[in-house]
Amino acid sequence: MLKVKNLSKKYEKVLAVNKASFEVNAGEIGVLLGPNGAGKSTTIKSIAGLLRFEGKIEIAGKENKSIEAKKAFGYIPETPALYESLTVWEHLEFVARAYGLKDWEDQANALLTRFDMDDKKKKVGKELSKGMQQKVSICCGLITDPKMIMFDEPMIGLDPKAIKELKEIFVELKNRGCAVLISTHIIDSIDEVWDKVLIMNKGEIVYNRTRDEMTASGESLEKIFFSVTEPEKEEESA
Amino acid sequence: MSSVFYLLRKSLKNLIKGAAKKPLVLIGYIFILVFIVFIIVASFMPSGMVRNGNPQLFKSIMILVFTVLYYTSLKLGIDKGSTFFRMSDVNLLFTAPIKPNHVLLYGFIKQIGGTFFMMFLAMCQIPNLRNNFKMEAHGVGVILLAVVAYTLAYPLLGMVIYSWSSKEKSRKKLLKRIFDIGAVVVALLFLLSVVQTRDFVSAMDRVFNHPVARYFPVIGWTGSIAAAAVGPLTTEFYVGAIGMLLLILGSAITLYRANLDFYEDVLEGVEFVEAAYKAKREGRNMTFNLKVKENVKQGLKGEGARAIFSKNLLELRKTSLFLFLDRMSLITIIASLVFRFVMPDEIGEMGLFVVLCFSVYLLMLFQIQGRLVNEMEKPYIFLIPASPFQKLFYVTLSEHLKNLADGCVLFISAGILFKGDVATVLACIFSYTSFGAVFVYNDVLNRRLFGWVHSKNMLVFIKIIASLLLLVPGIVAGVFVYAMTELQLLLILTMGGWSFILALTFFMFSAGILNNLESAG
Repeated sequence: MLKVKNLSKKYEKVLAVNKASFEVNAGEIGVLLGPNGAGKSTTIKSIAGLLRFEGKIEIAGKENKSIEAKKAFGYIPETPALYESLTVWEHLEFVARAYGLKDWEDQANALLTRFDMDDKKKKVGKELSKGMQQKVSICCGLITDPKMIMFDEPMIGLDPKAIKELKEIFVELKNRGCAVLISTHIIDSIDEVWDKVLIMNKGEIVYNRTRDEMTASGESLEKIFFSVTEPEKEEESA
Repeated sequence: MSSVFYLLRKSLKNLIKGAAKKPLVLIGYIFILVFIVFIIVASFMPSGMVRNGNPQLFKSIMILVFTVLYYTSLKLGIDKGSTFFRMSDVNLLFTAPIKPNHVLLYGFIKQIGGTFFMMFLAMCQIPNLRNNFKMEAHGVGVILLAVVAYTLAYPLLGMVIYSWSSKEKSRKKLLKRIFDIGAVVVALLFLLSVVQTRDFVSAMDRVFNHPVARYFPVIGWTGSIAAAAVGPLTTEFYVGAIGMLLLILGSAITLYRANLDFYEDVLEGVEFVEAAYKAKREGRNMTFNLKVKENVKQGLKGEGARAIFSKNLLELRKTSLFLFLDRMSLITIIASLVFRFVMPDEIGEMGLFVVLCFSVYLLMLFQIQGRLVNEMEKPYIFLIPASPFQKLFYVTLSEHLKNLADGCVLFISAGILFKGDVATVLACIFSYTSFGAVFVYNDVLNRRLFGWVHSKNMLVFIKIIASLLLLVPGIVAGVFVYAMTELQLLLILTMGGWSFILALTFFMFSAGILNNLESAG
């Protein structure tokens, strides 16, 4: 569903991502991990069609910047930013129009109820707290029923109930056959849900395994993370 | 496209509804509206004024106005083509299945909306122009035509330039260089004419009413359309009108066919815009394009509150052009010297006093938000184990040193250029630094007293009024002393002395602002 092949991105003289290749299949939850400056954000922005890059990115078999690919794609950014003068409901209506959705109202109501936002429908963007904005952002990403969805640090700012709902949503999306990619720093937050782990370091994908492959190795995700991102320190401690 | 129009429609509707819900905001808008209507009505009333404005001056003014308008709007477009986008657009619009051309069009519609109020104010000047210049029957019509041409041309032209320049950094650099060189050439030509003629009006006529200016693409064309208001419809008007028509049509077609991929270039600008909005909400200055030098070898010294001073000095060194001199210093120094140059010779010996007054006025505008505001955003200033007096003194010391350094450069130059004596130069430096200290501590004290005022614009307004009112006794005393002695030196010293006492008093009363975050308002 998501195919990234030889993705490279250079900012002037800095090579932020170097020939990264990976896939997240339909019905699979991929998690993108990496230390600060590993190239995760650049990879995420490239997939979202916000950057120019070298290589190839395909969503649902289409080039990621094409209209068809965007229709199949959902994106929940790290920093939620809403239109200050649009109400919560109008945000959802705007997204529905932009993606050409029909009969979206029931789905919108269900999402808002799920995130305890049903009484905030008439609140405009600037009246919402950061956590509430994040919830609206998630609802906007989910309402299009995407085939591939990408979450960038989705738990930040959410209350415990919303985190619980979101984790359930990850699994529901997977069961519906959606390809899910989650970028995060907090390994524990997604430990129960992921199917494939992608670890980036210094602009490269240094680890790409499924849960079964990793379980077979008998090591924890945390241990693997440090062994591939800080190999020198690991050797010293050994 | 329907989703984009939905976005625009709803945003506008909710903005109006939001204003209606807040009585104070509504009263503000009504006040502005009444003010504008008053200006229009008053301008149409027979004034009995003799309409003897020189038509050539009118033409110069029109071309000058459009030069400034096109320069600022198009330059901003190259630099921050994204000024019309916000982070919400990046998150929701850029990732949606909408053609980039439509997204760009949406941005420019927003841009036009944003400048609508400014345009409206500009149109309000038409009655004023009618009172001062003898207009033809078609006068108002051609001015409106020029305004419409500008409103349509600059976003389209901006889009074409941006879509071309955003593809490569070198193109952006090249365009910016061309714009800057153009601006410098025009400014130099104008300055040269001012020095030669010693007359602003003649200098304007020589530069902006030159045939090259009148036929210059876009700027000259638009200006020439408006300039026809005070004369017959000449070849210049027709060239301008046809030129603008072709330009608008050509730009529209070019854009529609363009394959745009501009999101990446917009991202950096959007982050900048968001930071600017945040700064505006918090009532502090946004430092535009501030370059930070990386090779400054200056360590930090001192302990406790002195460490803040040392840190501020390091920051100044990293961001200034040379020692304490930064862009604002240069603007103040050059503008103040030019101001004295263009003043009539009759001011004679009072030349340095004139330079002092103008430079203090600029200083007030530039220092309306002091360094302390930036400092108070971070917790360190409150946490450092030192008394509030020590902290306030050291946090503002670098600003006083900067003002002293700027004052030295400005008044030593002015002393040499305008033949001032050493004592007067020293008095000017002392007064300039003292006035600077008043503005610095007035800012702090006002935040302590009026921190509860939520409107940051209102706070700025209060600060300006307070500064002016409190300086009045010094000015009155200075004028009195001058009337008695006719000595410029004593006039300057009296005003400087009053400012010094005022600054000290402000300092004593404002230090408490650093007790805790809540005292900062």
